[in-house]
Amino acid sequence: MASSKSASGAMTLERMSVEQLKAVKEQADMEVNLLQDSLTNIGTATTRLELATTALNDLSLRSHGSKILVPLTASLYVPATLQDPHHVLVDIGTGYFVEKTMPEGKDYCERKINLLKSNFDQLVEVASKKKNVADDAGVILQAKLKQLASSS
Amino acid sequence: MSSSNIRDLQRELENKANDLSKLQKDIAKNHQVRKKYTIQLGENELVLKELDLLKEDANVYKLIGPVLVKQDLAEANANVRKRIEYISAELKRLDSTVQDLEEKQNSKKETILKLQQKMQTLQAGKGKA
Repeated sequence: MASSKSASGAMTLERMSVEQLKAVKEQADMEVNLLQDSLTNIGTATTRLELATTALNDLSLRSHGSKILVPLTASLYVPATLQDPHHVLVDIGTGYFVEKTMPEGKDYCERKINLLKSNFDQLVEVASKKKNVADDAGVILQAKLKQLASSS
Repeated sequence: MSSSNIRDLQRELENKANDLSKLQKDIAKNHQVRKKYTIQLGENELVLKELDLLKEDANVYKLIGPVLVKQDLAEANANVRKRIEYISAELKRLDSTVQDLEEKQNSKKETILKLQQKMQTLQAGKGKA
């Protein structure tokens, strides 16, 4: 099914003029780049959430009153004691923060990671399809240009 | 006679080409704004989904400048809903302007094409004469 579809797509590409092909290729290339960028963004977001999950796991192992160092800036830390290891404040976006219990916080990270992963998989599929279109257009464009060069 | 005609046509063509590039710039700008709003809409929808999952007695804070201010869950919910409504309306408005601009662009392209053809026939006629 997929192969027949791409074959018919190639057929319509065959019938295009060189200018049209160029336009199609350019468009497809642009979209592929855009999708690649989105993929890297999702990747970084996922790693950040995974980091948050490990931090939460780490935090949940500590008990009330344990000593910690709190970062005030990137290089300045002050000593403190942990008051409440069972509640966390979660940034849910657009300036809103929600107080959650430890398991809820972990659950939040888990859910976000799963959401990102499913988005990632979907995007990978779309990106590979677009890449095929771009490659097809490139191949046919090359062939047409060669034909033109030999015929003139 | 015909040479001044051609000159007029050329001037008109230039004007139209300028108009077209202006239109294209507007369209590009519109697309950028649209993209920004789409991203915001997505983020707000995620926030709303998160707020809907919360229990009634959950503590919600809003970041205002450097301060976290405690807010009612219902109030936060209403705020986000209102924002989503606003952004959706804005997106719809942008869509219609883009459509409008694209129609204008297409008609401009057509007039330019016609002008070019006219010039070509005029020049060909002059060449023969």
